Amino acid sequence: MRDLIVRVIARFIIPFIQVYGLYIVLYGHVSPGGGFAGGTVMASSLILYVMAFGARSEKRRLPEWVARSIESAGAVFFVAIGLVSLFQGTTFLANQAAGFPMGIPGRVFSAGAIFLLTFGIGMKVFSTMITLFTHLIEEEEKEGTG
Amino acid sequence: MITQHLPALIILVPLVSAFIILLLGPNYVRFARHTAMAASVVLTVFALLLLLETTQDGTIRYYFGGWQPPWGIELYIDRMTGFFLAIVSSINLLVLVFAAGVLEQEIRERVVAHYYALFLILTTSLLGIAASNDLFNIFVFLEISSVSAAALVAVNGNRYAMEAGVKYLILSTLGSGSVLLAIANIYMVTGYLNLTYIAEALPAAFAQYPLNIVASLGLIMVGLTVKAALYPLHIWLPDAHGSAPTTSSAVLSGLVVKVYIIVFIKFLFRIFPVDFIEIFPIQPNLLVMSTFGILMGSILAIRQTDIKKMLAYSTVAQVGYIFLGLGVLTPNAVIGSMLHILNHAIMKTILFLSAGCIIKLTGIREVNRLEGVGRVYPLPMAAFSLGALAMIGIPPLNGFVSKWYLGLGALDADQPFFVLIILVSSFLNGLYYLPIVIRSFFGREPRFSEIKVLPIGARFTLTALAVAIVVFGLFSALPVGYLEPAVEQLFAG
Repeated sequence: MRDLIVRVIARFIIPFIQVYGLYIVLYGHVSPGGGFAGGTVMASSLILYVMAFGARSEKRRLPEWVARSIESAGAVFFVAIGLVSLFQGTTFLANQAAGFPMGIPGRVFSAGAIFLLTFGIGMKVFSTMITLFTHLIEEEEKEGTG
Repeated sequence: MITQHLPALIILVPLVSAFIILLLGPNYVRFARHTAMAASVVLTVFALLLLLETTQDGTIRYYFGGWQPPWGIELYIDRMTGFFLAIVSSINLLVLVFAAGVLEQEIRERVVAHYYALFLILTTSLLGIAASNDLFNIFVFLEISSVSAAALVAVNGNRYAMEAGVKYLILSTLGSGSVLLAIANIYMVTGYLNLTYIAEALPAAFAQYPLNIVASLGLIMVGLTVKAALYPLHIWLPDAHGSAPTTSSAVLSGLVVKVYIIVFIKFLFRIFPVDFIEIFPIQPNLLVMSTFGILMGSILAIRQTDIKKMLAYSTVAQVGYIFLGLGVLTPNAVIGSMLHILNHAIMKTILFLSAGCIIKLTGIREVNRLEGVGRVYPLPMAAFSLGALAMIGIPPLNGFVSKWYLGLGALDADQPFFVLIILVSSFLNGLYYLPIVIRSFFGREPRFSEIKVLPIGARFTLTALAVAIVVFGLFSALPVGYLEPAVEQLFAG
């Protein structure tokens, strides 16, 4: 995979994909999309990176332990947001009742906990996609060399 | 403050602990073990508190985010569910205590921390399936349980475990798929995912779309019986439970198979009213399948030479017992089924764990080479024998009580044939369990080059389970007294 065109295009397009993915995550509560869709888009940028530049250089950019930590942190973050409402005296995952600021409908910083929860899901999906992909790649490399 | 959130916390505690273990990564084995253990202790306390609470209030409901059903997700813990939650969390704790010191020798060092995390995720899914009152939620937890259970089988990494894990994953996913189709059909005709609301909307929906409901009943039946390994659909079970690591086998056989039966009970009683069930041939089907399961499971177990495979086939027979009670569908029979869920969880856990100990201590897997092992290693072999005797149904032990209630239920329904089946099966059980017990204690004492010692955790777990077998046999009024109103609650709908 030493194709110049692929590399140049990838280098050009990856930032845009990532911004778009982040946009979908952050606007999850006001427009179609959300954590899962946005996380997948973000992950696809890194998958493109692996295809263009190889798995080794991707490993340098995003070591495995970082991806793994983001993955678990996303889940813990989600539950932590849910637990906030327990301390506010309502039930798990309550939003307005737990005192999260609602903001003006339609704005980015609105909808209280939903905004944060979508972000947590985005983190988890992004890193899970990456880990799954790199594991599959690793298997192939092992079989190829050994 | 904390007691009102127990239904949510019981699912969250193992989930969060699992992800905290994963956050730190595979190098922190001691931390993983302690976290898992602490989570299980907390879990067991919570489950027992819930159990107490259900005896007072009957049913506990919990709405996520404060949204009322049918919009929000509801947790619904009735007596039956509370009973199962207590079984899952306490067996889970005992198996984790056993795992300390044993697990490291059975699987690769690198995956031990992940194993604990997977184990907790499996527990989360079991508790979630039992507690949830929302069909789609139940499906999601079903998927989590199939994936994590298959991973727990394949974790050894050897060829047999891998094959068994993949086989299990495929068949289990097939089962989830058909359950999903059934859920989609039900949602299509009733417009609800909440079990309580579905039950209300179902009669009207049945008048309009009878075929969808018949189809969904069939799909539920096939999907859940594949996952619970009822006889002709059991083919994945012996491989999966036979080749998994000891602790995995114990939990898979003792708990995971049962949770699908709990889902089945939910469908049977909570969604479809009892007179509704009688229109469809569910009962006759269950009776035929479970009768064959009870007999064939035992017969196939007799032919096995590998001790773990033998125990796995015995699980097939025992699942047959539980479904038999649901097929007979009289109050006593359902009490028998629920009791057998408890008793079989205890018996199969002690059998798998002690068999695992014996394999680890002596290196012998073959049933007929266990001669005299009981003289060298009395504790694991005594635990195995106690479990085996309870499995056969020798009176003061707990296995007898559930068989007794199943028999009573069959007599209530004027079907003495099934009492005969239970008796025949007990003889068959004796046929493959007793020779092991007799040979291992009265056979010639073998010479081992070295005598190994069991870790303290393993000894504690085996003793605790043995005590539980005797206690639940002698004081059977304890669970029965709890289950009688539970079953009344189920029949009331």
